Amino acid sequence: MADRTKDAFTYADGWTAVSPTLTRARRLTLALVYVLVIAAVAALFWIPDVPVWVAWVAVGVAVVAFGWLWWLIGRRVRSFGYAERGDDLLVSSGIMFRRLVIVPYGRMQLVDVKAGPIDRWLGITTVQLHTAAATTDASIPGLEPDIAAGLRDRLARRGEQRSAGL
Amino acid sequence: MTLPGPGSSPSNVGDDLGLGVTLPGHGTVDAAGRRRVHPISPLVHGVSALPVGFIIVIAFSFGMVEKLGPVGLLVAVSLAVLFGVLVTAWKYLAWRNTWYWFDDDGDFRVDSGVLTRQQRRLQLSRLQSVDVAQPLVARFFSMAEVTVEVAGTQDSRLKLQFLTLDEARALRSEILARAAGLRHDAGEAPEAPIASVTPRDLAVSLLLRSVTAGLLLVTILIVFVTVLSSGWGGLGIALITGGLPILIVITEFIKYFNFTVAQSPDGLRMRFGLAKTETRTVPPGRVQAIEFVEPFLWRRWGWVRVRVNIAGVGHEDANGNKEETLLIPVATRAVAEDLVQRVLPGLDIDGMAWHEAPERSRRRAPIQWRRLAVAWDDSVFAARSGRVTRRLTVIPHARTQSVRVTQGPWERALDLASVHVDSTPGPVRITGRHLDAMTARNVADEQSVRAEQARAEDHSIRWAEGE
Repeated sequence: MADRTKDAFTYADGWTAVSPTLTRARRLTLALVYVLVIAAVAALFWIPDVPVWVAWVAVGVAVVAFGWLWWLIGRRVRSFGYAERGDDLLVSSGIMFRRLVIVPYGRMQLVDVKAGPIDRWLGITTVQLHTAAATTDASIPGLEPDIAAGLRDRLARRGEQRSAGL
Repeated sequence: MTLPGPGSSPSNVGDDLGLGVTLPGHGTVDAAGRRRVHPISPLVHGVSALPVGFIIVIAFSFGMVEKLGPVGLLVAVSLAVLFGVLVTAWKYLAWRNTWYWFDDDGDFRVDSGVLTRQQRRLQLSRLQSVDVAQPLVARFFSMAEVTVEVAGTQDSRLKLQFLTLDEARALRSEILARAAGLRHDAGEAPEAPIASVTPRDLAVSLLLRSVTAGLLLVTILIVFVTVLSSGWGGLGIALITGGLPILIVITEFIKYFNFTVAQSPDGLRMRFGLAKTETRTVPPGRVQAIEFVEPFLWRRWGWVRVRVNIAGVGHEDANGNKEETLLIPVATRAVAEDLVQRVLPGLDIDGMAWHEAPERSRRRAPIQWRRLAVAWDDSVFAARSGRVTRRLTVIPHARTQSVRVTQGPWERALDLASVHVDSTPGPVRITGRHLDAMTARNVADEQSVRAEQARAEDHSIRWAEGE
């Protein structure tokens, strides 16, 4: 049974994985958020009305959450994959809530390539596909810039060849 | 003030208020064929602004009115009127700068703006709908506004305020005729009424919707328990659980009052509204998805509501509110199916082979699992769900934007997955829930292929071209 479930989200010719750099980028973001968390937890020790044991529990929760998120980021990044088929693009993602998006080339209205400051610094970008449906939500994060540009150009070319009205 | 003779109609062109008065500037057409909206528009805007003016004045000077008595009231009223006059003056400047016309490329053009000039160009080949509406104040002046929608993500809506009702209707037919690829002087398309909703049926159907009926039942229970226990604590909650659904029923009753559907060569034409009469034309081939909704208490009459997705329309109105786009708010099954046949010819729901959710899905959806199923034929994909309120959604293959397969942890444990067929924004979402995981994936893959093939054969962009 478990094998069949696995089948529903696999692709026979294999997914193209995203760059492991994405793991580093997301863990760096996590670390930056944790600067604020550490500051907040540290403040608990200085507020006179808060018992010390409450502050220590907060420290424990923060440490466990950090470890769990650190591990989760690694798994989530490995779950991203895409495949260019003859007529459509497949994007797969998610561990607990798994999803597979199939976008026919003729339905793509816009292909965005974007990168935030951390992504730019580490040299990765996100390719996002838009159709006339707001619910499509097909984005592939963690692509090296030349791979992303190549993908964007291929997608745009195929989209133009097949584009139709709404 | 002489009565116009049979041959003197040109001199009568501005006399649309029936007062025998011709406003200067009405019907102005410049050398390039550009037209202006009606010269009374600034005054309509000014009068519409009066209530806002009163609210502002009252908010700023509430205490003063009390102290000064009648004099203060007079001052407050004059200030509100002054506000209206200022709005009128501003709108007069706007009116002088507003021109609309059809350019040589067949696009609809509007220039407007006082400080910031705006030039807009609507591609009529991407037209989604043209609506004529009469807001309350405009109706006192026998004026109407025209709303033009084209496909696009942002700024795809344009409002012309105000024209006489006849002018507005003529403009709508001209836009529709040009978009359909006909000659622009084809005249207003004749229309034949198909269906209407009586006020009684509308009121009953709104009261018996599942959520409304449920909340009213809860309210009765709360009042009952409160009275029995001779305390008053529950009445506050009863006010909310009872007041909210009643408010929704009243709002929808006013909005969809006198709902009629007529067939015209431009498409289906819907008219409705009590305080504000709206006209909406849905050109054929522009319906993106359809949903039949059948609340539990409607079943004894066999009633259904038909909701539709139309690209660019309905997902948000001018105020940013979510709006439900309806083909009809309530109708018998036969009438509803007849309406749907006109926008999706050849739809055959009963003839489709339904692929049902497996029995183990009862552990994920204990009530509705028996109804969960998907089906498809050569032209459409359909999904059904809901045991208490039955829902049936239909999307043509040619309108499929993308396909998704999703699986939550609970679905994963049961080896289930859901397949979503994405449509343009609107009230209708097409989801085949809790199917066998592998089936869901295969359905998704096949749907993508069907979408691609159907699109290659789709030619409904200019539907009347060559006729």
